[in-house]
Amino acid sequence: MAIAATTTTQARFVVPRGLVPASFVLGGTLLSLIGLTWDIQWHSDVGPDTFFTMPHLFLYTGSALSGIASLAVVLITTANAKRDKAIDPIVGGRAVGVFGRTFAAPVGYLISGTGAALFLVYGLWDQWWHGLYGFDAVIESPPHIGLLLSISITMVGTVMIFAVARDQRWGVYGVVATAAVLLVFSMVTVLGLRAVPDGLANPVAAGTAFTSVMILFMAAHALNRRGGALAVGLSVAVLQAVFWWFSPWAARVYADATGLPLRDYADGIPGLPYTIPMCLIVVAVAVELLHRLPAWIPGALGGALIAACVPLQAVLVYGAPFHPNGRYLATVVLSAAFGAGAALLGRRFGQMLRHLAPAKEDRHA
Amino acid sequence: MRKTLLGLLGTCFLLLGLASPALAFEPVNVVHTEKVQAGPYNLTVGFSTWPVKAMQSLDFTFAPEDGIAGKKGTLTMVPAHGEPDDTPLARHPRKRDVWGLDIHALPEPGTWTFRFDISGPAGPASGELRNLQVMEQPGPPMGLSWAISTIPLFGLIGLIVVAWRRTRVNSN
Repeated sequence: MAIAATTTTQARFVVPRGLVPASFVLGGTLLSLIGLTWDIQWHSDVGPDTFFTMPHLFLYTGSALSGIASLAVVLITTANAKRDKAIDPIVGGRAVGVFGRTFAAPVGYLISGTGAALFLVYGLWDQWWHGLYGFDAVIESPPHIGLLLSISITMVGTVMIFAVARDQRWGVYGVVATAAVLLVFSMVTVLGLRAVPDGLANPVAAGTAFTSVMILFMAAHALNRRGGALAVGLSVAVLQAVFWWFSPWAARVYADATGLPLRDYADGIPGLPYTIPMCLIVVAVAVELLHRLPAWIPGALGGALIAACVPLQAVLVYGAPFHPNGRYLATVVLSAAFGAGAALLGRRFGQMLRHLAPAKEDRHA
Repeated sequence: MRKTLLGLLGTCFLLLGLASPALAFEPVNVVHTEKVQAGPYNLTVGFSTWPVKAMQSLDFTFAPEDGIAGKKGTLTMVPAHGEPDDTPLARHPRKRDVWGLDIHALPEPGTWTFRFDISGPAGPASGELRNLQVMEQPGPPMGLSWAISTIPLFGLIGLIVVAWRRTRVNSN
């Protein structure tokens, strides 16, 4: 009896297999997200830029941490494969051959590591761009969008890594956290749609609606349990609230530390958190309540609601004027259509994430 | 596992330690100036790069002859085509004794006009810098730049297509 009790006590302190490297990759993506919100705020509230500002270091370190952790897992897996040792797919999913069979890479870590490697390549592209065009602080320049897309790929890999372990508590929490991080980060990436010529509708609002609905449905279906969408919506709201406080605070503290003044007319409104739809939590509740309906219906409602609230959020935060016109209505209608498609895509992506660990599928049916 | 953890942590600290913040902000180097007369205010407009090219960012400075103290105003940038953009005249972040725009790019080529509406001790007045020629953007066409920059997106779509096809049978 005493032996059994000791064994139980020891078992409580065993770190689940796969959790440590997954946490490093997730930590890297969080650093990237913190660096991004800080950097955007720095440019709007303070201004002067160098390669080695602290927000930039967060961005570089985030991708470096995710990349090194991914590389470490791939090398360990490769070494185990060469020695014919058993490879546990709970660590990032099934291993696939890379460069023939030179490397054996768990698919989740392959994607997260590829994103980190792409970040390096696009960092060079960005350096070349700045040499030619100057150190513009435009978030939606082509190389910046390339960098943001590279980090997004790392984040997609992180979602996959945690989705593999969805039958464990850390896997469930991880999918919720990584989906929230990906969603928040993507709100900046969609600003690249400003490059689309202005037409009948607002492309950024439609892109925001599409991406938000897709990631919400993807996470909900990857977890395949009630409350999944709501948990992601709440996590996004928490990130929005924390960054709403953090971003202007960090920019101000860093400016004080480096002896730089704030810009004249700096409004201090948090740049990145402002891009996140505040109504997302309502959309998440709607997804939960309407789960018996075909996915495209709550998707269309969610897409329309997000696009409809974009100018209302500007009224609330900036006191901007709001004149509903034909373009506004066209954006709402387009976003409803995009939302419907995003829900179907998101649901399918969720199913694909569930297939990452097919051996455990029967436990969730 | 402990070795892996220590290795990863060590690498992180090394990265942060080697890349300690080297905050050496570039000074504002004015290489070309233009004069604008806004009523009683004699304004010198400075450019850190000349000639100006579309999308190429530079520092602009706007310096009244007798300083900016006691004055405020608005700058309206009017492109050849498209909507004018107005902004309050704010001190340049790296040259606080004058107004300015830091690392700012004019988005399109053509003939631009900068209009200054200034109010100060001598009352309100306006003046314009006309015929500011902005040349074509340097570098490759934007279509090519966007094509290069969106390769990760198309790579991700390719991955999704492969995963979609491989999981299709099981999901039906």
